[in-house]
Amino acid sequence: MRKKILSLVLLLILCFFAGILLGSVPLSPASVLRCLAGFDRDSTAYVLVHTVRLPRAAGACLAGMGLATAGVLLQYVMNNALASPNTIGVNSGAGFAVMLALLLGNGQASCIPAAAFLGALATSLAIFGLAYMADSSRTTIILAGITVSSFLNAGINTIKLLDTDISVNLTSFMIGSLSGITYEHLKIPGAAILAALLMTFVFARSVNVLGLGDDIARSLGLNVPVVRLSILVLSSMLAGCVVSYAGLLSFVGLVVPHICRRLFGNDARYLLPCSALLGASFVLICDILGRVLFAPFELPAGILMSFIGGPFFLYLLLKKKGGRRVNA
Amino acid sequence: MLEFYNVSASCGGVPILNDISVCFQKGEITAVIGPNGCGKTTLLQCLNGASKVTSGAIALEGADYLAMPHRERARRISFLPQVRTVIPALPVKTLVEHGRFPHLGFSRKKSEKDIAIVREAMQFAHVDAYAAQYADTLSGGIRQRAFFAMALAQDCDYIVLDEPTTYLDLKGQRELTEMILQLKNNGKTVILVLHDIGQALRISDTVVIMHDRKIAATATPEECLRQHIIETVFDVRLKEFSDGEGCYYFFY
Repeated sequence: MRKKILSLVLLLILCFFAGILLGSVPLSPASVLRCLAGFDRDSTAYVLVHTVRLPRAAGACLAGMGLATAGVLLQYVMNNALASPNTIGVNSGAGFAVMLALLLGNGQASCIPAAAFLGALATSLAIFGLAYMADSSRTTIILAGITVSSFLNAGINTIKLLDTDISVNLTSFMIGSLSGITYEHLKIPGAAILAALLMTFVFARSVNVLGLGDDIARSLGLNVPVVRLSILVLSSMLAGCVVSYAGLLSFVGLVVPHICRRLFGNDARYLLPCSALLGASFVLICDILGRVLFAPFELPAGILMSFIGGPFFLYLLLKKKGGRRVNA
Repeated sequence: MLEFYNVSASCGGVPILNDISVCFQKGEITAVIGPNGCGKTTLLQCLNGASKVTSGAIALEGADYLAMPHRERARRISFLPQVRTVIPALPVKTLVEHGRFPHLGFSRKKSEKDIAIVREAMQFAHVDAYAAQYADTLSGGIRQRAFFAMALAQDCDYIVLDEPTTYLDLKGQRELTEMILQLKNNGKTVILVLHDIGQALRISDTVVIMHDRKIAATATPEECLRQHIIETVFDVRLKEFSDGEGCYYFFY
Protein backbone atom coordinates (compact mmCIF):
# COMPACT_ATOMS: atom_id res chain seq x y z
CA MET A 1 0.00 0.00 0.00
CA ARG A 2 2.84 2.36 0.85
CA LYS A 3 4.33 1.79 -2.60
CA LYS A 4 1.01 2.49 -4.28
CA ILE A 5 0.58 5.77 -2.39
CA LEU A 6 4.15 6.74 -3.19
CA SER A 7 3.60 6.12 -6.89
CA LEU A 8 0.46 8.26 -6.76
CA VAL A 9 2.47 11.07 -5.15
CA LEU A 10 5.12 10.76 -7.87
CA LEU A 11 2.43 10.78 -10.54
CA LEU A 12 0.98 13.96 -9.08
CA ILE A 13 4.38 15.68 -8.94
CA LEU A 14 5.00 14.68 -12.54
CA CYS A 15 1.58 15.94 -13.67
CA PHE A 16 2.03 19.16 -11.74
CA PHE A 17 5.37 19.82 -13.36
CA ALA A 18 3.96 18.93 -16.79
CA GLY A 19 1.11 21.34 -16.12
CA ILE A 20 3.63 24.15 -15.73
CA LEU A 21 5.87 22.99 -18.56
CA LEU A 22 3.33 22.35 -21.30
CA GLY A 23 1.09 24.87 -23.00
CA SER A 24 0.69 26.92 -26.11
CA VAL A 25 3.99 28.71 -25.46
CA PRO A 26 6.78 26.16 -25.25
CA LEU A 27 9.14 26.39 -22.28
CA SER A 28 12.16 24.25 -21.55
CA PRO A 29 12.22 22.16 -18.37
CA ALA A 30 15.43 23.93 -17.34
CA SER A 31 13.91 27.40 -17.59
CA VAL A 32 10.76 26.28 -15.75
CA LEU A 33 12.91 24.95 -12.92
CA ARG A 34 14.92 28.18 -12.82
CA CYS A 35 11.73 30.25 -12.71
CA LEU A 36 10.25 28.07 -9.97
CA ALA A 37 13.43 28.48 -7.97
CA GLY A 38 13.10 32.24 -8.26
CA PHE A 39 15.71 33.05 -10.91
CA ASP A 40 15.25 34.99 -14.17
CA ARG A 41 12.74 37.33 -12.62
CA ASP A 42 12.68 39.62 -15.66
CA SER A 43 12.04 36.95 -18.31
CA THR A 44 8.67 36.34 -19.98
CA ALA A 45 8.99 32.73 -18.86
CA TYR A 46 9.01 33.86 -15.22
CA VAL A 47 5.84 35.89 -15.66
CA LEU A 48 4.17 33.09 -17.58
CA VAL A 49 5.08 30.47 -14.98
CA HIS A 50 4.14 32.53 -11.95
CA THR A 51 1.03 34.35 -13.10
CA VAL A 52 -0.52 31.84 -15.48
CA ARG A 53 0.70 28.29 -15.27
CA LEU A 54 1.44 27.87 -11.57
CA PRO A 55 -1.93 29.19 -10.37
CA ARG A 56 -3.66 27.14 -13.02
CA ALA A 57 -1.84 23.94 -12.05
CA ALA A 58 -2.55 24.64 -8.39
CA GLY A 59 -6.20 25.26 -9.22
CA ALA A 60 -6.43 21.99 -11.14
CA CYS A 61 -4.71 20.15 -8.32
CA LEU A 62 -7.07 21.54 -5.68
CA ALA A 63 -10.12 20.95 -7.87
CA GLY A 64 -9.24 17.30 -8.36
CA MET A 65 -8.47 16.75 -4.70
CA GLY A 66 -11.60 18.53 -3.56
CA LEU A 67 -14.06 16.87 -5.89
CA ALA A 68 -12.65 13.35 -5.58
CA THR A 69 -12.61 13.61 -1.79
CA ALA A 70 -16.11 15.07 -1.73
CA GLY A 71 -17.21 12.12 -3.88
CA VAL A 72 -15.76 9.56 -1.47
CA LEU A 73 -17.33 11.33 1.51
CA LEU A 74 -20.77 11.55 -0.09
CA GLN A 75 -20.65 7.89 -1.07
CA TYR A 76 -20.01 6.91 2.54
CA VAL A 77 -22.41 9.36 4.11
CA MET A 78 -25.29 8.33 1.87
CA ASN A 79 -24.20 4.69 1.74
CA ASN A 80 -24.66 5.02 -1.98
CA ALA A 81 -22.11 4.08 -4.60
CA LEU A 82 -23.67 6.44 -7.12
CA ALA A 83 -23.40 9.53 -4.97
CA SER A 84 -21.02 12.27 -6.06
CA PRO A 85 -21.07 16.07 -5.97
CA ASN A 86 -22.39 15.95 -9.49
CA THR A 87 -25.03 13.22 -9.31
CA ILE A 88 -26.76 14.48 -6.19
CA GLY A 89 -26.84 18.09 -7.32
CA VAL A 90 -24.29 19.57 -4.90
CA ASN A 91 -22.28 21.06 -7.75
CA SER A 92 -25.35 22.59 -9.33
CA GLY A 93 -26.40 24.01 -5.98
CA ALA A 94 -23.01 25.67 -5.66
CA GLY A 95 -23.15 26.88 -9.25
CA PHE A 96 -26.59 28.36 -8.80
CA ALA A 97 -25.47 30.15 -5.64
CA VAL A 98 -22.43 31.53 -7.49
CA MET A 99 -24.66 32.89 -10.25
CA LEU A 100 -27.03 34.35 -7.69
CA ALA A 101 -24.13 35.98 -5.87
CA LEU A 102 -22.84 37.45 -9.13
CA LEU A 103 -26.30 38.75 -9.96
CA LEU A 104 -27.01 40.28 -6.56
CA GLY A 105 -23.48 41.19 -5.50
CA ASN A 106 -22.70 43.27 -8.60
CA GLY A 107 -19.82 41.01 -9.47
CA GLN A 108 -18.01 41.28 -6.16
CA ALA A 109 -15.65 38.33 -6.18
CA SER A 110 -15.09 38.03 -2.46
CA CYS A 111 -18.44 36.52 -1.55
CA ILE A 112 -18.42 33.89 -4.28
CA PRO A 113 -16.71 31.01 -2.42
CA ALA A 114 -18.96 31.55 0.59
CA ALA A 115 -22.03 31.55 -1.63
CA ALA A 116 -20.83 28.40 -3.37
CA PHE A 117 -20.31 26.66 -0.04
CA LEU A 118 -23.76 27.65 1.20
CA GLY A 119 -25.36 26.56 -2.07
CA ALA A 120 -23.61 23.21 -1.90
CA LEU A 121 -24.49 22.69 1.75
CA ALA A 122 -28.13 23.64 1.24
CA THR A 123 -28.45 21.21 -1.65
CA SER A 124 -26.76 18.30 0.09
CA LEU A 125 -28.82 18.83 3.24
CA ALA A 126 -31.97 19.00 1.14
CA ILE A 127 -31.15 15.79 -0.73
CA PHE A 128 -30.15 14.03 2.46
CA GLY A 129 -33.22 15.26 4.29
CA LEU A 130 -35.36 13.99 1.44
CA ALA A 131 -33.67 10.61 1.58
CA TYR A 132 -33.99 10.45 5.35
CA MET A 133 -37.60 11.55 5.63
CA ALA A 134 -38.94 9.40 2.85
CA ASP A 135 -36.57 6.57 3.79
CA SER A 136 -36.00 6.52 0.07
CA SER A 137 -34.16 3.84 -1.81
CA ARG A 138 -30.76 4.55 -3.28
CA THR A 139 -32.22 4.99 -6.73
CA THR A 140 -34.68 7.57 -5.44
CA ILE A 141 -31.85 9.65 -3.97
CA ILE A 142 -30.01 9.69 -7.28
CA LEU A 143 -33.20 10.48 -9.20
CA ALA A 144 -33.97 13.29 -6.77
CA GLY A 145 -30.39 14.53 -7.20
CA ILE A 146 -30.64 14.53 -10.97
CA THR A 147 -33.97 16.36 -10.81
CA VAL A 148 -32.67 18.97 -8.38
CA SER A 149 -29.56 19.35 -10.56
CA SER A 150 -31.47 20.02 -13.73
CA PHE A 151 -33.75 22.41 -11.87
CA LEU A 152 -30.77 24.37 -10.56
CA ASN A 153 -29.00 24.24 -13.93
CA ALA A 154 -32.10 25.79 -15.46
CA GLY A 155 -31.79 28.50 -12.81
CA ILE A 156 -28.14 29.07 -13.72
CA ASN A 157 -29.01 29.39 -17.40
CA THR A 158 -31.90 31.73 -16.69
CA ILE A 159 -29.79 34.09 -14.60
CA LYS A 160 -27.03 34.19 -17.19
CA LEU A 161 -29.43 34.76 -20.08
CA LEU A 162 -31.38 37.47 -18.28
CA ASP A 163 -28.34 39.35 -17.04
CA THR A 164 -25.77 39.36 -19.80
CA ASP A 165 -23.41 41.55 -17.77
CA ILE A 166 -22.34 38.67 -15.58
CA SER A 167 -18.69 38.13 -16.25
CA VAL A 168 -18.81 34.38 -16.60
CA ASN A 169 -18.49 32.34 -19.73
CA LEU A 170 -21.56 30.16 -19.42
CA THR A 171 -20.28 27.24 -21.50
CA SER A 172 -17.00 27.03 -19.60
CA PHE A 173 -18.81 27.36 -16.30
CA MET A 174 -21.29 24.58 -17.02
CA ILE A 175 -18.60 22.22 -18.34
CA GLY A 176 -15.93 23.21 -15.89
CA SER A 177 -12.78 24.97 -16.97
CA LEU A 178 -9.56 26.13 -15.39
CA SER A 179 -8.50 28.78 -17.85
CA GLY A 180 -7.65 32.23 -16.55
CA ILE A 181 -7.26 31.22 -12.90
CA THR A 182 -5.13 33.57 -10.84
CA TYR A 183 -3.92 33.45 -7.26
CA GLU A 184 -6.62 35.96 -6.46
CA HIS A 185 -9.30 33.44 -7.47
CA LEU A 186 -7.64 30.70 -5.47
CA LYS A 187 -6.82 32.45 -2.22
CA ILE A 188 -10.02 31.82 -0.24
CA PRO A 189 -11.29 28.59 -1.85
CA GLY A 190 -7.78 27.11 -1.87
CA ALA A 191 -7.31 27.67 1.84
CA ALA A 192 -10.78 26.28 2.55
CA ILE A 193 -10.13 23.19 0.42
CA LEU A 194 -6.82 22.48 2.15
CA ALA A 195 -8.41 22.92 5.56
CA ALA A 196 -11.30 20.62 4.64
CA LEU A 197 -8.90 17.98 3.28
CA LEU A 198 -6.95 17.95 6.52
CA MET A 199 -10.17 17.63 8.52
CA THR A 200 -11.25 14.78 6.28
CA PHE A 201 -8.23 12.68 7.19
CA VAL A 202 -9.02 13.17 10.87
CA PHE A 203 -12.48 11.77 10.16
CA ALA A 204 -11.28 8.80 8.08
CA ARG A 205 -11.91 6.12 10.70
CA SER A 206 -15.32 7.52 11.57
CA VAL A 207 -16.11 7.55 7.86
CA ASN A 208 -15.21 3.85 7.75
CA VAL A 209 -17.49 3.06 10.66
CA LEU A 210 -20.30 5.06 9.10
CA GLY A 211 -19.81 2.94 5.99
CA LEU A 212 -20.87 -0.13 7.99
CA GLY A 213 -24.43 1.19 8.10
CA ASP A 214 -26.16 3.34 10.70
CA ASP A 215 -27.11 0.53 13.07
CA ILE A 216 -23.63 -0.91 13.41
CA ALA A 217 -22.05 2.54 13.50
CA ARG A 218 -24.30 3.45 16.42
CA SER A 219 -23.47 0.24 18.25
CA LEU A 220 -19.78 1.00 17.87
CA GLY A 221 -20.32 4.27 19.68
CA LEU A 222 -20.28 6.64 16.72
CA ASN A 223 -22.43 9.72 17.14
CA VAL A 224 -24.06 9.14 13.76
CA PRO A 225 -26.00 12.41 13.26
CA VAL A 226 -23.06 14.59 14.30
CA VAL A 227 -20.52 12.75 12.17
CA ARG A 228 -22.88 12.64 9.21
CA LEU A 229 -23.56 16.37 9.41
CA SER A 230 -19.84 17.15 9.76
CA ILE A 231 -19.05 15.09 6.69
CA LEU A 232 -21.82 16.74 4.69
CA VAL A 233 -20.41 20.13 5.69
CA LEU A 234 -16.89 19.08 4.70
CA SER A 235 -17.95 17.69 1.34
CA SER A 236 -19.98 20.81 0.63
CA MET A 237 -16.98 22.94 1.48
CA LEU A 238 -14.82 20.94 -0.90
CA ALA A 239 -17.26 20.80 -3.81
CA GLY A 240 -18.54 24.35 -3.33
CA CYS A 241 -15.07 25.89 -3.27
CA VAL A 242 -14.05 24.05 -6.42
CA VAL A 243 -17.20 25.17 -8.24
CA SER A 244 -16.54 28.77 -7.18
CA TYR A 245 -13.48 29.00 -9.43
CA ALA A 246 -13.64 26.02 -11.80
CA GLY A 247 -17.32 25.69 -12.60
CA LEU A 248 -19.31 22.48 -12.69
CA LEU A 249 -16.55 19.93 -13.27
CA SER A 250 -18.32 16.62 -13.45
CA PHE A 251 -17.01 13.10 -13.40
CA VAL A 252 -14.00 13.48 -11.07
CA GLY A 253 -16.20 13.10 -8.01
CA LEU A 254 -17.79 9.89 -9.25
CA VAL A 255 -15.16 8.15 -11.29
CA VAL A 256 -11.98 8.76 -9.32
CA PRO A 257 -13.37 7.28 -6.07
CA HIS A 258 -14.50 4.20 -7.97
CA ILE A 259 -11.17 3.76 -9.71
CA CYS A 260 -9.51 4.04 -6.31
CA ARG A 261 -11.91 1.56 -4.70
CA ARG A 262 -10.93 -0.93 -7.35
CA LEU A 263 -7.24 -0.26 -6.95
CA PHE A 264 -6.94 0.31 -3.20
CA GLY A 265 -10.01 -1.28 -1.57
CA ASN A 266 -12.72 0.25 0.59
CA ASP A 267 -10.75 1.45 3.62
CA ALA A 268 -11.39 5.19 3.87
CA ARG A 269 -8.01 5.74 5.50
CA TYR A 270 -6.40 4.86 2.18
CA LEU A 271 -9.29 5.65 -0.12
CA LEU A 272 -9.45 9.31 0.90
CA PRO A 273 -5.80 10.25 0.32
CA CYS A 274 -5.52 8.05 -2.78
CA SER A 275 -8.63 9.59 -4.33
CA ALA A 276 -7.34 13.08 -3.57
CA LEU A 277 -3.99 12.31 -5.20
CA LEU A 278 -5.45 10.57 -8.24
CA GLY A 279 -8.18 13.20 -8.61
CA ALA A 280 -5.58 15.96 -8.71
CA SER A 281 -3.48 14.11 -11.30
CA PHE A 282 -6.57 13.37 -13.38
CA VAL A 283 -7.70 16.99 -13.53
CA LEU A 284 -4.14 18.13 -14.29
CA ILE A 285 -3.79 15.64 -17.15
CA CYS A 286 -7.15 16.65 -18.62
CA ASP A 287 -6.31 20.32 -18.36
CA ILE A 288 -2.91 19.81 -20.01
CA LEU A 289 -4.42 17.79 -22.86
CA GLY A 290 -7.12 20.41 -23.32
CA ARG A 291 -4.45 23.06 -23.77
CA VAL A 292 -2.06 21.03 -25.91
CA LEU A 293 -4.16 18.88 -28.22
CA PHE A 294 -5.63 21.63 -30.38
CA ALA A 295 -3.27 24.49 -29.48
CA PRO A 296 -3.66 27.42 -29.83
CA PHE A 297 -7.34 26.53 -29.30
CA GLU A 298 -8.25 25.30 -25.86
CA LEU A 299 -10.75 22.69 -24.77
CA PRO A 300 -12.14 23.10 -21.24
CA ALA A 301 -10.83 20.45 -18.84
CA GLY A 302 -14.37 19.23 -18.24
CA ILE A 303 -14.68 17.99 -21.83
CA LEU A 304 -11.42 16.06 -21.72
CA MET A 305 -12.47 14.55 -18.42
CA SER A 306 -15.51 12.95 -19.95
CA PHE A 307 -13.54 11.86 -23.01
CA ILE A 308 -10.81 10.16 -21.00
CA GLY A 309 -12.58 9.23 -17.80
CA GLY A 310 -15.65 7.75 -19.46
CA PRO A 311 -14.00 5.00 -21.49
CA PHE A 312 -11.51 4.24 -18.72
CA PHE A 313 -14.32 3.81 -16.22
CA LEU A 314 -16.26 1.56 -18.58
CA TYR A 315 -13.14 -0.52 -19.02
CA LEU A 316 -12.84 -0.92 -15.24
CA LEU A 317 -16.52 -1.78 -14.93
CA LEU A 318 -16.28 -4.50 -17.56
CA LYS A 319 -13.00 -5.91 -16.33
CA LYS A 320 -14.23 -8.12 -13.52
CA LYS A 321 -11.04 -9.95 -12.73
CA GLY A 322 -9.18 -8.67 -9.71
CA GLY A 323 -11.66 -5.88 -9.18
CA ARG A 324 -13.20 -5.27 -5.80
CA ARG A 325 -16.87 -4.73 -5.51
CA VAL A 326 -18.04 -1.42 -4.20
CA ASN A 327 -18.97 -1.00 -0.59
CA ALA A 328 -22.66 0.01 -0.54
CA MET B 1 -26.91 -5.73 36.34
CA LEU B 2 -28.72 -3.82 33.62
CA GLU B 3 -31.99 -2.27 34.67
CA PHE B 4 -34.69 -0.47 32.71
CA TYR B 5 -36.85 1.80 34.86
CA ASN B 6 -40.22 2.92 33.44
CA VAL B 7 -38.71 3.30 29.99
CA SER B 8 -40.81 4.71 27.19
CA ALA B 9 -39.21 4.58 23.77
CA SER B 10 -39.95 5.62 20.24
CA CYS B 11 -38.49 4.50 16.96
CA GLY B 12 -38.34 6.87 14.01
CA GLY B 13 -40.61 9.30 15.91
CA VAL B 14 -43.30 6.67 16.51
CA PRO B 15 -43.87 5.82 20.20
CA ILE B 16 -43.56 2.05 20.60
CA LEU B 17 -42.88 1.21 24.23
CA ASN B 18 -44.57 2.74 27.23
CA ASP B 19 -43.43 2.44 30.83
CA ILE B 20 -41.33 -0.71 30.61
CA SER B 21 -39.34 -1.93 33.59
CA VAL B 22 -37.12 -4.94 33.30
CA CYS B 23 -33.89 -6.19 34.79
CA PHE B 24 -31.09 -8.26 33.26
CA GLN B 25 -28.89 -10.15 35.73
CA LYS B 26 -25.12 -10.01 35.47
CA GLY B 27 -23.34 -13.15 34.33
CA GLU B 28 -26.49 -14.73 32.96
CA ILE B 29 -27.89 -15.42 29.55
CA THR B 30 -31.24 -13.66 29.21
CA ALA B 31 -33.40 -14.41 26.21
CA VAL B 32 -36.05 -11.93 25.14
CA ILE B 33 -38.85 -13.67 23.28
CA GLY B 34 -42.22 -12.63 21.99
CA PRO B 35 -44.33 -12.54 18.82
CA ASN B 36 -43.31 -10.35 15.90
CA GLY B 37 -43.89 -6.66 16.46
CA CYS B 38 -44.07 -6.95 20.26
CA GLY B 39 -41.27 -4.41 20.78
CA LYS B 40 -38.28 -6.69 21.51
CA THR B 41 -35.97 -4.94 19.10
CA THR B 42 -37.18 -1.48 20.14
CA LEU B 43 -36.46 -2.38 23.77
CA LEU B 44 -32.89 -3.47 23.09
CA GLN B 45 -32.23 -0.65 20.63
CA CYS B 46 -32.56 1.76 23.55
CA LEU B 47 -29.03 0.57 24.30
CA ASN B 48 -27.42 1.70 21.04
CA GLY B 49 -29.53 4.78 20.47
CA ALA B 50 -31.45 3.46 17.47
CA SER B 51 -34.60 3.80 19.59
CA LYS B 52 -35.06 7.04 21.43
CA VAL B 53 -35.80 6.80 25.14
CA THR B 54 -38.46 9.45 25.75
CA SER B 55 -38.80 8.90 29.49
CA GLY B 56 -37.47 6.64 32.21
CA ALA B 57 -33.94 5.56 32.98
CA ILE B 58 -31.50 2.78 32.24
CA ALA B 59 -28.95 1.83 34.87
CA LEU B 60 -25.85 -0.22 34.12
CA GLU B 61 -24.40 -1.53 37.37
CA GLY B 62 -25.88 1.45 39.13
CA ALA B 63 -24.56 4.07 36.69
CA ASP B 64 -26.84 6.19 34.52
CA TYR B 65 -26.33 4.54 31.14
CA LEU B 66 -28.14 7.12 29.05
CA ALA B 67 -25.95 9.90 30.44
CA MET B 68 -22.80 8.21 29.14
CA PRO B 69 -21.25 9.46 25.90
CA HIS B 70 -21.87 7.20 22.89
CA ARG B 71 -18.34 5.90 22.90
CA GLU B 72 -18.42 5.05 26.59
CA ARG B 73 -21.66 3.14 26.07
CA ALA B 74 -20.00 1.14 23.30
CA ARG B 75 -17.18 0.27 25.67
CA ARG B 76 -19.65 -1.12 28.23
CA ILE B 77 -22.25 -2.86 26.07
CA SER B 78 -21.61 -4.31 22.66
CA PHE B 79 -24.71 -4.52 20.55
CA LEU B 80 -25.05 -6.54 17.38
CA PRO B 81 -28.10 -5.31 15.48
CA GLN B 82 -30.16 -7.66 13.38
CA VAL B 83 -30.61 -5.50 10.34
CA ARG B 84 -27.70 -5.18 7.98
CA THR B 85 -28.35 -2.21 5.75
CA VAL B 86 -24.89 -2.60 4.29
CA ILE B 87 -22.85 -5.70 3.64
CA PRO B 88 -19.38 -4.26 3.74
CA ALA B 89 -16.93 -5.18 1.02
CA LEU B 90 -14.13 -5.38 3.56
CA PRO B 91 -11.78 -8.17 4.60
CA VAL B 92 -13.05 -9.99 7.69
CA LYS B 93 -10.04 -8.86 9.69
CA THR B 94 -10.73 -5.20 8.90
CA LEU B 95 -14.37 -5.67 9.83
CA VAL B 96 -13.45 -7.24 13.18
CA GLU B 97 -10.93 -4.45 13.81
CA HIS B 98 -13.79 -1.96 13.61
CA GLY B 99 -14.95 -3.48 16.90
CA ARG B 100 -12.02 -1.66 18.53
CA PHE B 101 -13.36 1.70 17.37
CA PRO B 102 -14.84 2.80 20.73
CA HIS B 103 -11.54 2.07 22.47
CA LEU B 104 -9.24 3.95 20.13
CA GLY B 105 -7.91 7.32 21.17
CA PHE B 106 -7.83 10.45 19.07
CA SER B 107 -4.90 9.22 17.01
CA ARG B 108 -6.90 6.05 16.27
CA LYS B 109 -3.74 3.99 16.49
CA LYS B 110 -4.04 0.29 17.23
CA SER B 111 -2.03 -0.94 20.20
CA GLU B 112 -0.62 -4.41 20.82
CA LYS B 113 -3.61 -5.02 23.05
CA ASP B 114 -6.07 -4.09 20.29
CA ILE B 115 -4.36 -6.45 17.89
CA ALA B 116 -4.40 -9.29 20.43
CA ILE B 117 -8.10 -8.76 21.21
CA VAL B 118 -9.00 -8.77 17.51
CA ARG B 119 -7.08 -12.03 17.05
CA GLU B 120 -8.79 -13.65 20.03
CA ALA B 121 -12.22 -12.53 18.86
CA MET B 122 -11.61 -14.02 15.42
CA GLN B 123 -10.40 -17.28 16.94
CA PHE B 124 -13.35 -17.43 19.30
CA ALA B 125 -15.84 -16.97 16.47
CA HIS B 126 -13.89 -19.36 14.22
CA VAL B 127 -13.35 -16.80 11.49
CA ASP B 128 -9.56 -16.56 11.72
CA ALA B 129 -9.31 -18.77 8.64
CA TYR B 130 -11.26 -16.17 6.67
CA ALA B 131 -9.30 -13.13 7.89
CA ALA B 132 -8.26 -12.03 4.41
CA GLN B 133 -11.53 -12.84 2.64
CA TYR B 134 -14.07 -10.15 1.85
CA ALA B 135 -17.19 -10.24 4.02
CA ASP B 136 -19.52 -9.80 1.05
CA THR B 137 -18.21 -12.95 -0.60
CA LEU B 138 -18.81 -15.22 2.40
CA SER B 139 -21.82 -17.40 3.19
CA GLY B 140 -24.45 -16.00 5.56
CA GLY B 141 -23.28 -18.17 8.45
CA ILE B 142 -19.63 -17.17 8.28
CA ARG B 143 -20.54 -13.55 7.71
CA GLN B 144 -22.73 -13.58 10.81
CA ARG B 145 -19.82 -15.02 12.80
CA ALA B 146 -17.58 -12.25 11.42
CA PHE B 147 -20.03 -9.62 12.71
CA PHE B 148 -20.21 -11.57 15.98
CA ALA B 149 -16.41 -11.41 16.20
CA MET B 150 -16.60 -7.67 15.62
CA ALA B 151 -19.03 -7.32 18.55
CA LEU B 152 -16.70 -9.45 20.69
CA ALA B 153 -13.73 -7.28 19.77
CA GLN B 154 -15.53 -4.45 21.56
CA ASP B 155 -14.51 -6.43 24.64
CA CYS B 156 -17.53 -5.51 26.75
CA ASP B 157 -18.88 -7.33 29.78
CA TYR B 158 -22.37 -7.05 28.34
CA ILE B 159 -23.16 -8.45 24.92
CA VAL B 160 -26.53 -7.82 23.30
CA LEU B 161 -27.49 -9.81 20.21
CA ASP B 162 -30.64 -9.08 18.22
CA GLU B 163 -31.81 -12.31 16.61
CA PRO B 164 -28.31 -13.64 16.03
CA THR B 165 -29.51 -17.01 14.73
CA THR B 166 -32.46 -16.01 12.56
CA TYR B 167 -30.91 -16.40 9.13
CA LEU B 168 -28.63 -19.29 10.01
CA ASP B 169 -29.04 -22.93 9.07
CA LEU B 170 -29.20 -25.52 11.84
CA LYS B 171 -25.46 -26.08 12.00
CA GLY B 172 -24.83 -22.35 12.08
CA GLN B 173 -27.39 -21.97 14.87
CA ARG B 174 -25.79 -24.74 16.91
CA GLU B 175 -22.31 -23.26 16.52
CA LEU B 176 -23.46 -19.81 17.55
CA THR B 177 -25.40 -21.18 20.53
CA GLU B 178 -22.30 -23.01 21.72
CA MET B 179 -20.30 -19.79 21.46
CA ILE B 180 -22.91 -17.92 23.47
CA LEU B 181 -22.77 -20.53 26.25
CA GLN B 182 -18.99 -20.28 26.16
CA LEU B 183 -19.24 -16.50 26.59
CA LYS B 184 -21.27 -17.00 29.74
CA ASN B 185 -18.60 -19.39 31.05
CA ASN B 186 -16.07 -16.64 30.39
CA GLY B 187 -18.05 -14.40 32.74
CA LYS B 188 -19.90 -12.33 30.15
CA THR B 189 -23.50 -11.22 30.41
CA VAL B 190 -25.47 -12.05 27.28
CA ILE B 191 -28.85 -10.60 26.35
CA LEU B 192 -30.37 -11.85 23.16
CA VAL B 193 -33.56 -11.81 21.15
CA LEU B 194 -34.50 -15.27 19.91
CA HIS B 195 -37.34 -16.43 17.73
CA ASP B 196 -36.92 -20.10 18.47
CA ILE B 197 -38.58 -20.53 21.87
CA GLY B 198 -37.14 -24.00 22.33
CA GLN B 199 -33.67 -22.63 21.83
CA ALA B 200 -34.37 -19.79 24.26
CA LEU B 201 -35.53 -22.19 26.97
CA ARG B 202 -32.54 -24.45 26.44
CA ILE B 203 -29.74 -21.90 26.67
CA SER B 204 -30.98 -19.06 28.85
CA ASP B 205 -30.99 -18.57 32.61
CA THR B 206 -33.85 -16.10 32.46
CA VAL B 207 -36.51 -15.59 29.84
CA VAL B 208 -38.15 -12.20 29.31
CA ILE B 209 -41.43 -12.66 27.51
CA MET B 210 -42.84 -9.66 25.70
CA HIS B 211 -46.36 -9.43 24.43
CA ASP B 212 -48.22 -6.51 22.94
CA ARG B 213 -45.37 -4.08 23.71
CA LYS B 214 -45.37 -5.02 27.40
CA ILE B 215 -43.29 -7.34 29.52
CA ALA B 216 -45.63 -10.28 30.00
CA ALA B 217 -43.31 -12.22 32.29
CA THR B 218 -39.75 -12.56 33.49
CA ALA B 219 -38.98 -16.05 34.68
CA THR B 220 -36.55 -18.92 34.58
CA PRO B 221 -37.19 -21.48 31.83
CA GLU B 222 -38.47 -23.93 34.45
CA GLU B 223 -41.03 -21.47 35.79
CA CYS B 224 -42.10 -20.60 32.25
CA LEU B 225 -42.89 -24.23 31.64
CA ARG B 226 -44.46 -24.91 35.00
CA GLN B 227 -46.77 -21.93 34.83
CA HIS B 228 -47.62 -22.42 31.14
CA ILE B 229 -46.70 -18.81 30.45
CA ILE B 230 -45.51 -19.43 26.93
CA GLU B 231 -48.58 -21.41 25.96
CA THR B 232 -50.77 -18.53 27.13
CA VAL B 233 -48.80 -15.66 25.60
CA PHE B 234 -48.06 -17.24 22.25
CA ASP B 235 -51.27 -19.22 22.05
CA VAL B 236 -49.43 -22.44 21.28
CA ARG B 237 -49.19 -25.92 22.71
CA LEU B 238 -46.08 -27.55 24.05
CA LYS B 239 -44.63 -31.02 23.70
CA GLU B 240 -41.68 -31.85 25.86
CA PHE B 241 -39.19 -34.58 25.09
CA SER B 242 -36.17 -35.66 27.00
CA ASP B 243 -33.27 -38.02 26.66
CA GLY B 244 -30.03 -38.58 28.53
CA GLU B 245 -28.61 -35.22 27.39
CA GLY B 246 -31.46 -32.95 28.36
CA CYS B 247 -34.92 -31.67 27.50
CA TYR B 248 -36.24 -30.57 24.14
CA TYR B 249 -39.31 -28.45 23.63
CA PHE B 250 -41.58 -28.46 20.66
CA PHE B 251 -44.23 -25.81 20.22
CA TYR B 252 -47.03 -26.11 17.73
